[in-house]
Amino acid sequence: MISAFLRKHSFDVVFDSQQVYRLLLEAVSNPARIVSIREYADKLFGGHPAFLAVAMTLMDNEVSFTTCSNQPLAEEIVSLTLAMKETTERADFVFVCDPHDLNDLKNIMRKVKSGTLADPHRSATVIIRNDGVPACPLKLSGPGIDGHTTVSVTQRVKDAIALRKNRSDEYPQGIDLIFVSSGGELLAVPRLVGDG
Amino acid sequence: MNSNYNFAFLDEGSKKEIRRAVLKAVSIPGYQVPFGSRELPIGRGWGTGGIQLTLSLIGRDDILKVIDQGSDESVNAVNIKKFVGLCTDVRTTTDTREATLIQTRHRIPERALTNGQILIFQVPLPEPLRVVEAREEVTKKMHAEKDYASMWLQLYESLVKYNKVTIGAEYPCMVEGRYMMNPSPIPKFDNPKLHKAECLYLFGAGREKKIYAIPPYTQVVSLAFDDVPFEKENFVGKRCRLCGSADTYLDEIFDRQTGGRAYQCSDTSHCQWTADS
Repeated sequence: MISAFLRKHSFDVVFDSQQVYRLLLEAVSNPARIVSIREYADKLFGGHPAFLAVAMTLMDNEVSFTTCSNQPLAEEIVSLTLAMKETTERADFVFVCDPHDLNDLKNIMRKVKSGTLADPHRSATVIIRNDGVPACPLKLSGPGIDGHTTVSVTQRVKDAIALRKNRSDEYPQGIDLIFVSSGGELLAVPRLVGDG
Repeated sequence: MNSNYNFAFLDEGSKKEIRRAVLKAVSIPGYQVPFGSRELPIGRGWGTGGIQLTLSLIGRDDILKVIDQGSDESVNAVNIKKFVGLCTDVRTTTDTREATLIQTRHRIPERALTNGQILIFQVPLPEPLRVVEAREEVTKKMHAEKDYASMWLQLYESLVKYNKVTIGAEYPCMVEGRYMMNPSPIPKFDNPKLHKAECLYLFGAGREKKIYAIPPYTQVVSLAFDDVPFEKENFVGKRCRLCGSADTYLDEIFDRQTGGRAYQCSDTSHCQWTADS
């Protein structure tokens, strides 16, 4: 199989990853803000170019990941970043390609690591594909948001945030969520940001 | 730009590690994320934490400002600007308003920063508990357990001995009610600017290998007792000798020949702007 890298890779590992990173940082710092990484994702081939853009920006051989049984995506990420494949329980980055299966999402959200009280940064970043109609209003508050704000999100975003809340992780332990649409729209909801 | 080096000097693996640490730091405001601090052609203790943050963030469209104790023209600021310019070719500025990235040593600009701007602090000692506990493994545990009693006790002892809290710069604060944080050696005057700011604050300690952050609109409260409120430096009755400002942080200038004392703004960019307008 010809990898995405050879077929149509024109993502610049220096400049495009810097741009994607700044957009990611903007999204994580301002959780209700949706940023677009489409321009950079379009430079990558395959079924999940936006995932690949995030992977190429953040991942290398020092971190582990899982694609939750999406083997082609896992192989692409390994070939592009040299990151290590790992189980859901131990992975640093968890890519959820098909969040429409709620049971699957529940299972993943239950398993992912949330760090420890001493080392809360040793927690998973869960990156969820987020396609669908953003028809559900979601009231968010927390660091990065001035008071409260309401954003329109898909049902899966609400589900993922609710599932995270159900884990009852004691802060600073927690899971950081990043939602990416196939069109490259990216929304981040760090652990301290929640509904309400 | 010197083409013998990668864009922004650091190799891409180093940038990725720093970038991951920054994202975790923003997600856990006030928590010190460890990172593998890289060697730079500058000695540790000269702002290498801040420089590594700047180098891992900077892109070709950025406009960089570097200040040292508020000044755009001091040795540290000028040389950091030269170094970053040498390996990126980005535009530099002294105007706080147009800068996208501002690296600072020990001051927060007088002009309130906006949401798109990032202020990067050079931090010599990131651990606020180091004054009461020398061992890293113990301070780490204290943070994990939110055990800050010894720090409160130190503040109380200071009150008992001197009738006031005697900490000058590096006045500790609580971030989102969870982490005690060292805001780097900024004067107490700047501490209130950390609270619910529009911009993103990033802190880099190169020697101590720690990165931490305060995202926009985050609650940052300087330590104080209910009956002894936090007090910042007082410049009542004093004005900048150059621009006349009475609401800025002032440096005291001593004239050896006349024995006279004068005051002028520590933030040179703001002082110039005020004098010109």
